[in-house]
Amino acid sequence: MDLERELSALQVEWPATPGFALQLGRRRRRWPLAVAIALAAIAIAFAVPQSRASILHFFAIGRVHVRVVDTLPPAQQRPLSAGLGKRVSLEEARADVPGILLPATAAVPALYLAHGNVLSLVFVHEGEPLLLSELVGGGGVYLKKLAAGSTGIVGVRVGDAPGLWLSGSPHVFFTPQRSPRLAGNVLLWESDSTTYRLEGRKLGKSEAIAIAESLRRG
Amino acid sequence: MLRAQRGDAHAYEDLVRPHQEIAFRVAYVIARNPADAEDATQDALVKAWRALGRFRPDEPLRPWLLRIVANEARNRRRSAGRRERLVLRAAASSGEAAPSPEDTALDRAERAELLRALDELPDAAREVLAYRYLLDLSEEETAAALDVAVGTVKSRTSRALDRLKEGYGPRA
Repeated sequence: MDLERELSALQVEWPATPGFALQLGRRRRRWPLAVAIALAAIAIAFAVPQSRASILHFFAIGRVHVRVVDTLPPAQQRPLSAGLGKRVSLEEARADVPGILLPATAAVPALYLAHGNVLSLVFVHEGEPLLLSELVGGGGVYLKKLAAGSTGIVGVRVGDAPGLWLSGSPHVFFTPQRSPRLAGNVLLWESDSTTYRLEGRKLGKSEAIAIAESLRRG
Repeated sequence: MLRAQRGDAHAYEDLVRPHQEIAFRVAYVIARNPADAEDATQDALVKAWRALGRFRPDEPLRPWLLRIVANEARNRRRSAGRRERLVLRAAASSGEAAPSPEDTALDRAERAELLRALDELPDAAREVLAYRYLLDLSEEETAAALDVAVGTVKSRTSRALDRLKEGYGPRA
């Protein structure tokens, strides 16, 4: 038997093909109204616990993908400000990320820039550190893995923008070129081709939405 | 296809469901571990959905989809900076005649040796052979997954087979 026939005749034990969720959130630009309707429908389904296992498997908001898994992968507990990129001044941040949103706090937050289009702001709100990340345009995907049943996820609106609220047990957060870390409560939303992510360990949903809606162009 | 392109997610599901297994395996050949292959495939399916408006309905879907999956897997492998072994195992023979235990053991050892030699090839050679012979992709599909011309698939396959012969020993 020649080598080509031998290769073709090989029966290989491939790893089992996982079930891929095709509950797709949106296709950009072309269907904004349909997307809003679909998101609202899915958001309602998210809020119903008994339908979670069958529906909540995968979701995407902008550059952040959320996936429900049976078992969380190993991840480290790290400070909010760890591994966010290069520390930059407000002027440098404005130059690289036009139209940044800033919290309505008196002090300028600590600003970090990664990959040229991911701006992270660490600031204090009522004594608790919060992390706001602004992921501009396309580029690498930020992945969240949630343990089914222990981290809650509901659809929300931030102003007119669709969003997701993740709370309860920590979930695992993957960023490009970094080892995964455990993340606390998170609000995700997308507006004007930018994906926003607000994280705080003790953050509540209403509080997070209020902070998000109070952000101002900096 | 037209329904999917108009934004019907269920129509999209129906379109891509038959290709999920081959897409995952294409990603696995590049990513070399099931977890990264799963992530790459899942993200690629979302990207394909978003890009579906630019797909020409008169073209075959599978090569287009495999190109997106392979690109996603390649980007992930690049950013992870890892190089893992492929760890493909030969499945039990499914021949009709029952072989003797000695023949079975020999056959299994030979198949394992062939996979070992395949795994030790450089990425470009390993991928083209895995796609053409293990996954039975057409030259056009292989070209899409490798993001090269069909002519390049032919020449790369020929060179890869030569290299595999060197690594596989005198019986090849």
